[in-house]
Amino acid sequence: MASPSSFQSQIYRSLPEIERAEAIVDRISTAISLGLLKVGERLPAEAALSEMFGVGGATLREALTELRDRGIVETRRGRSGGSFVVKQPQTQADAMRSWFLSTSISEIRDIGDEHAAIAAATIRLACERAEAHDFERLQELARSLVLAHSPEHRASADSRFHVELAVAAQSPRLANAEIRLQQETVQQLWTPLAVAFDPETATAEHLELVRAVAQDQPEKAQELVLGHIRRNIFHLIDTKLTVGYALSNQDAQ
Amino acid sequence: MKLDNEVVHAAHALALWTSDVLAEINHLAGHVAELVEKNLAGRPKVDESSLLGLEALSREFLAKNSFAVGAGTFFAAQSVEAEGHIFEWWSHGKSGSSSIEKLDADLTPGSHRYYDYEKLPFFSTAASTGEQTLWGPYIDYLGFDEYIITLTAPFSIHGTFAGVAGCDILVKDLEPLIMPHLRAIPGNAAMVNASNRVIMGNSGTYLVGERIKPGYPEDQQRIDLDVPHLGLSLVYSA
Repeated sequence: MASPSSFQSQIYRSLPEIERAEAIVDRISTAISLGLLKVGERLPAEAALSEMFGVGGATLREALTELRDRGIVETRRGRSGGSFVVKQPQTQADAMRSWFLSTSISEIRDIGDEHAAIAAATIRLACERAEAHDFERLQELARSLVLAHSPEHRASADSRFHVELAVAAQSPRLANAEIRLQQETVQQLWTPLAVAFDPETATAEHLELVRAVAQDQPEKAQELVLGHIRRNIFHLIDTKLTVGYALSNQDAQ
Repeated sequence: MKLDNEVVHAAHALALWTSDVLAEINHLAGHVAELVEKNLAGRPKVDESSLLGLEALSREFLAKNSFAVGAGTFFAAQSVEAEGHIFEWWSHGKSGSSSIEKLDADLTPGSHRYYDYEKLPFFSTAASTGEQTLWGPYIDYLGFDEYIITLTAPFSIHGTFAGVAGCDILVKDLEPLIMPHLRAIPGNAAMVNASNRVIMGNSGTYLVGERIKPGYPEDQQRIDLDVPHLGLSLVYSA
């Protein structure tokens, strides 16, 4: 039998038990940074969490211990007890830096490829399916990006705009795909590591997208959204080059 | 004119089904108003203590009306103490569990997860028209996070609009309830909402969530469903 293709090995890859606690820590930290979970909020009960994550109690407790050690959650005893979000994770600059160091340009391009496919289909459907109520909402969300005062808030505003575009397209699956893709890259985009990303340009592009959707111009909307994503990916690649290869540049000089 | 007879028959059945749901919702809204007014005991504004018993009303509604996935009340900020936002909405848990849970959403204005329910049409339309309304299909992002329709009726306390009560129905649960009526029509047909969006169609010509394009197909015809204020119609073509 031929050895499995890389796609097959992706499907059947083993589930590393040790990394699962870490994955839970990452998932929850990212959700807090994106504003999906907020400070003061109570996490579901331990039994529910381990069921939802599909991990054993020990793995879950390991993850919660790590989150407590980082000061991100606090566990309180008693009747109204549970695990509560108590602070935003660190600015994430270090986490972002290590993401750029460990992610290759080919992988960044590939994220862009997938995002382009999802976004193109989403915006075409949004043109067909969105209505006046959606246009107003999207406009408001587009503007909230330029009004945001910190990289974290810009990341939240940016991702919410794109997710709600998929909501206006009436597709729960595309919305889920968009949420996943946003979680993967939106913080990398807005964390100022090398060249800061300009919120005014991004907002202008978002507003143009809303206009194209409102005027039901799928060709134009698709072209705009592909350009928008290409620009995002170029920014990530620029950052990768600056963060990852600055040292070798110096060596060469 | 055999086609037309079948269309008229289906339109009648769909209107009847919807009216039955609305009767339940108007009933719920009436009970909510009565209960909150009693809890207020003369005080002007709703606060946490005015909500006693609302959970039981939602649970009764869900027990009686198995088509609904969630039911409850959204209060208008103007009727709430310190212009706050309060909602009491109870839903069947996700992933098919039979437990009923209180819906939780971020009500902090300006937060990036803010669930601004007063701007959502199931609230705003009922508030501005003072009549029952239907919104959807839509993805209730940051609320119930499912693909649903929501039916609501407004209610008043001390003669002033105070909020809406109603229920959510999962689009996938709606399908077996509506489809038999649509399937009885020989051609392509769809139940369509007030903003011209397909709630349910009997073929690929009219797919749920899509908007009806006027004049496509060319022989497209439409009759209004006899349900006050919802703006529902039945669109059909050969």
